[in-house]
Amino acid sequence: MKKTLRFTLMPLIVAASAGALAQDAYVIGVSAAMTGPAAGSYAPAVEAMKAYLDSVNSRGGINGKPVRLIVLDDSAEPSKAAANAKRLLAQDKVVLLMNSSLSSTYAPVVAEAKRAGVPLYFAGAVCPKDTYPPADPMQFCSTAFGANLDSQAALAFVKDNAREPVRLGLAAMAIPIARAEIEYAEGLSKTLGMTPVDKEISPPPAPDYTPFATKLKEAGPNWVYSWSPWVSQIRTFEALRRLGWGGRYITWAHLNAEEELGRVKDGELYVIGTNAFFRDEPPMAAEIRAVAHRANLNYPVTFLTEGFIAGLVVETALKNTPWPATPAKVLAAMNRLKVDLKGLRGGPLEWTRDNHFRTKQYYRVWRWDPAKQQVTRVQDWRVIEVKR
Amino acid sequence: MQLAVNILVLASIYALIACGYVLVYRVSRVLNLAHGELMMLGAYALFATASSFPGHPFAAVAAAALLALAVGGLVYWLLMRRMTGEAVLAAVLATIGLGILLRGAMVLAWGPQERHPLQALGMSNASFAIGDARISSVGLLLFTATASVYLGLYAFLRYTAWGVRMRAAGQNPLLAAQRGIRLHAVYALAWGLSTFTAGLAGMLIASESALDQTMVVIGLKAFPAALVGGLDSLAGALVGALIVGAAEVLSIHYIDPLLAEVVPFLVLLAMLIVRPWGLFGAREELDRV
Repeated sequence: MKKTLRFTLMPLIVAASAGALAQDAYVIGVSAAMTGPAAGSYAPAVEAMKAYLDSVNSRGGINGKPVRLIVLDDSAEPSKAAANAKRLLAQDKVVLLMNSSLSSTYAPVVAEAKRAGVPLYFAGAVCPKDTYPPADPMQFCSTAFGANLDSQAALAFVKDNAREPVRLGLAAMAIPIARAEIEYAEGLSKTLGMTPVDKEISPPPAPDYTPFATKLKEAGPNWVYSWSPWVSQIRTFEALRRLGWGGRYITWAHLNAEEELGRVKDGELYVIGTNAFFRDEPPMAAEIRAVAHRANLNYPVTFLTEGFIAGLVVETALKNTPWPATPAKVLAAMNRLKVDLKGLRGGPLEWTRDNHFRTKQYYRVWRWDPAKQQVTRVQDWRVIEVKR
Repeated sequence: MQLAVNILVLASIYALIACGYVLVYRVSRVLNLAHGELMMLGAYALFATASSFPGHPFAAVAAAALLALAVGGLVYWLLMRRMTGEAVLAAVLATIGLGILLRGAMVLAWGPQERHPLQALGMSNASFAIGDARISSVGLLLFTATASVYLGLYAFLRYTAWGVRMRAAGQNPLLAAQRGIRLHAVYALAWGLSTFTAGLAGMLIASESALDQTMVVIGLKAFPAALVGGLDSLAGALVGALIVGAAEVLSIHYIDPLLAEVVPFLVLLAMLIVRPWGLFGAREELDRV
């Protein structure tokens, strides 16, 4: 609680001194859903990134200058996000603006960033289409999941591992991005020779997912694919199991997926993702554990990968930004960025002038192994080239 | 058969939440818009007591339920009592403020992560067959708990002295006070019982799925059930929950799952047009613009 309270009050303290100190540091502003119903998906990434950048500062900063991160809570509300962006740009004079919140906050933040000529970086939040090639000149994204690419990878895994003709059930939450993705997957499945048998779109949040799962089960799928916020993915799966459905389920590996596989302990629940699990012992795992311990973060370390990736991206971008930093110099650095992610993903994250998402997306698949009683990897990095 | 089971479980959820709205409204004519937050607080209380009583799930549940009861009484004693004599709108606004305060406090105390009280209790939610349908253990518990709560409240309100006092205070507070009924104690008890049932609903919903910040919205989704049945009628809340639950499950199954979100409010709108005081509610003088 003390930690959360400190984090909540921190922006006020930082804001008071930011004006005086701005010229001595790389100042970065973040508008994030630190509270509210969506906070569970964003707050761990932001806190992890902050912890990593604090550790960078403790080692002397970047190019001899500290990084000052100003985090403002928008509770996933567009009006608050707009106010945050205005303050960060006009008052705090940030050289890089970040958004880690629901997509409904994007429009006002994008508009403010464009007006101020400051690059906008999405971390831990869904990547807008504008970051895919051909990219908007001002918008960048490092978040793990990627529309269409994720479904391509997931359905390729299903195809490779199907023991019989695939009768595919699809499930998503009733939010625009998840619905669009699941509709894309429905079309894609047909081209891969699968038969989509049902598509269930559930509202956020439902008090009971059984009615949705009942309809899905009655359609007789032997595989179900879901791409949505974790709450919708896992509760649909658990409801299906309680109804006695015995098929296989593949879904996106959100921040908490590694913990959740260990909780659910179902051998036919597969999660596909682009961030390494701690079970895989990526080279940076020890550093993440140490930094999280020092920062006294309240989350399991398995929740922190996305935030550390964001921290590595910011660190690399600023290293390539000559002092004194300006938004234009940061933008130039981000337009030709290659970040060594130290095993947290299958390869480096690379941005070009035309591609502000990444040039390659790497996917792994995990499940709970009932025999070994542990989370195991069932597919190593599969590469998908990100093209126009 | 499965549809019938689904309707019963969903209606149980709505009925258990809705009876809390009704208890407070029928006694004090205050609409408690912090009910969803109090429900979530009950679920967090279970998560907290689960770690305080490791290996003793029943003790943890009992402690959490008692905490919920006490919190309800305290909310009345520390906040709502001061609204006595003020316009009802002021009291309703106070509940909105309370809800915002509770939401913030819960994020500070437990963070934004999803929690699993059932796992913390060391229990699992197995399912079993009823004919050709299946129901989860917690689903069955929800149904049983709702039935027990309604039967208990019926017996309490009808046969106990405090229940009669509560009904009297709801019908005519001035007369009740003149007859020596301590209104503040009655109201505090109503708030306590309302928060107890809300907390119970929160614990069971969190055990069936999980506990996160979205639970507040589920609290609001039960509101149409209370209004459809009549805000001052417990029997009405039960029937309203059944109507709303059935409409929701059947629309998911036969029309479009997306309707699940709007159907309860469509039923509510229809009821407000036809019978604004609800199926079993008392017809009161309505303020008109």
